[in-house]
Amino acid sequence: MSSAPGTITAGPAAGTSEPVRAGQERSNWPVTIILIVCTLSVLVPLYVTLSMAFKTTGQAVDGNAFSLPSPLTFDSFVQAWTLTNFPRGFAISVFVSVTAVAGEIIVSALAAYAIVRNWDRRLFRWSFFYLLAAMFIPFPVVALPQIQLTGLVGLDNPLGVAILHIVFALAFNTMLFTAFLRSIPVELEESMRIDGAGTWQVFWKLIFPLLGPMSATVGIFAFIASWNDFMMPSLIISDPELQTIPVLQKMFQTQFSNSYNVAFASYLMAMAPAIVVYLFTQRWVMAGLTQGAVK
Amino acid sequence: MLPPLTSAGTAVSRRTFLAAAGGALAAAGLAGCAPGGERPTVTFHQSKPEAVPYFRDLAAKFTASQDRFRVLHDMATNLSASFVRSSPPDLGCLNYNLEMARFMERGALADLSDLPAAASIRDDVLDLTNWYPTYAGRTSVIPYSVMAASVIYNRRIFEQNGLAVPRTWDELIQVCEALKAAGITPIYGTFRDPWTIAQGLFDYTVGGMVNVREFYKKMHEIGEKVGPDSEVSFQKTLLEPVKRMVQLKSYVNPDASSRGYGDGNTAMAQGQAAMYFQGPWAFGEIEKAGTDIDLGTFPLPMTGDPADLKVRVNIDLSLWVPEVANAREGARAFLQHLMQPEIQNSYNAEFLGFGTTKDAPAVTDPRIVEMQKYYDEGRFYMGASQFIPNSIPAANYFQSIIGGADPEGTLRRMDADWARLAFRA
Repeated sequence: MSSAPGTITAGPAAGTSEPVRAGQERSNWPVTIILIVCTLSVLVPLYVTLSMAFKTTGQAVDGNAFSLPSPLTFDSFVQAWTLTNFPRGFAISVFVSVTAVAGEIIVSALAAYAIVRNWDRRLFRWSFFYLLAAMFIPFPVVALPQIQLTGLVGLDNPLGVAILHIVFALAFNTMLFTAFLRSIPVELEESMRIDGAGTWQVFWKLIFPLLGPMSATVGIFAFIASWNDFMMPSLIISDPELQTIPVLQKMFQTQFSNSYNVAFASYLMAMAPAIVVYLFTQRWVMAGLTQGAVK
Repeated sequence: MLPPLTSAGTAVSRRTFLAAAGGALAAAGLAGCAPGGERPTVTFHQSKPEAVPYFRDLAAKFTASQDRFRVLHDMATNLSASFVRSSPPDLGCLNYNLEMARFMERGALADLSDLPAAASIRDDVLDLTNWYPTYAGRTSVIPYSVMAASVIYNRRIFEQNGLAVPRTWDELIQVCEALKAAGITPIYGTFRDPWTIAQGLFDYTVGGMVNVREFYKKMHEIGEKVGPDSEVSFQKTLLEPVKRMVQLKSYVNPDASSRGYGDGNTAMAQGQAAMYFQGPWAFGEIEKAGTDIDLGTFPLPMTGDPADLKVRVNIDLSLWVPEVANAREGARAFLQHLMQPEIQNSYNAEFLGFGTTKDAPAVTDPRIVEMQKYYDEGRFYMGASQFIPNSIPAANYFQSIIGGADPEGTLRRMDADWARLAFRA
């Protein structure tokens, strides 16, 4: 996410300089400078996060956020690791995110496929509108009944959170998938059916692979949303031993106390997977941003 | 209807399906098996961050010392959600405030009066819980640690300027003037954080002049009729202290409106100001800077009579067991374990709290030792800001008064808010 503006900046500037003279390159400078300044809004906090994480507690509260850590210490990481019981929290967070990503892609793709290919039937058309209507219901509005319901059916745990993520994202994801599915010609499907394939087979062997780019988009959104989510796990998960990382990290900053160095060390560790995922899926992220834009 | 599936197709889809189902099952299993074996697990909710390692250690030791219960230290549960779900923590160890009192008022907390620990608490400390709405006939909470707060001052700055701790309002103004004349910031203000105004300036000035308990008792009785003509009201009863609060504003650092709590602690650690309107919780933060500094505390004098001096207190930690707790027996056992003098007293000594039992030892930390006298003599009040429901944004109102809004108009508005809220209830 963070370096996205930077990438865009480099793109056009480098591209135009290549074929033509230096004069045209200069005409892009104002934009480039503005964009470079914009990247500072990401880079400066990131620098503070990094340097804070390696500071001692004494240096962290001396009022100079921009100073370099001296002496360099890894104590904050050790503290954050033990205080939040990092490996366990991390595993739970991974479980929730992976389940949410897989679930959102599969369930929404199935729903979208059924709806698009049966658009002429009223039941499917209306069920699509019904799903879309859910976009207007944010989680906080239905939080209390959700807490009670999940408690009643024994889903007051990470699995329940993952399921809720899948359900709450269903509306938006189905919309993305239906828009994309309409661009896939029915003739492809028909030729496969003539060769003897059933609906199930058509979906898994033809449609689902073709949905790949959109699945990547949905998956990336699903990962970011579920990995960073605070409110849902904090309200839904009842067993404190099964709590996710963002909720566990809450304890570093309260009204009466701040542990900047430990907090930032912990945030860095929690950010790591998101950055790694981004590095590997960068090109799909960039492609995904415009995926739903044009049908 | 469907064309026959090829064997390969079936295998793949079935395998995929089974894998998915297996994953879901494994997940359910993981979630379902709360670790701990046969011993009942007692969930111990405690979320004061600086004390987390301390209590976590206590919980682990208690678990190891007997084989009937396993105590699980919990700092992540959302209390309201857990009560909604009827699975609250078995033992709570939290700040006691208006929000917590709502649970008590509705009878969600079990009676603990039969425990020997309940009888060992000082009467005037136990009575503090009655300032809030209660549930008749029950001792629902046991105060564990009381925090006394008053003005934090820098002893060396006072000595260097030949100043004594002020005991009357006039002396306080003299001290401020003397410091100002010497080029020293008398009071460090952190007005960017509204709560620091509410719990500092507002609570100290009101508590030093007004009988807080009586005031709110009457405010509740008058309810929706609170207004300019009622016996007590924000605009009438609190006007004088609030005016003095505004007067003290002329002695704060010029950049106070853009300074937050963290900045204040840093500034005090570096000796940038003589006085700081914060509670002992700030000492832990000031200490982090590791500077050599000599701090003390004194109650804010608001009248001309030193006999009126009082300190602000709050029940920083209280123990309670919910009515619907699954492991009530274990919770009570661990509660009694925590209430043993050697454990309770060493907690209070380490975290600058005052003991709540009749035979609790006096505090020895030089930073808070000056408040012991007032605590022993029962000369304390609870912060006036702590009795205003969250629906009234009191801290923000105080912030706007400090920022220059008219005190009378703002207090009148608070009266209107109070009356509206009482009308709705």
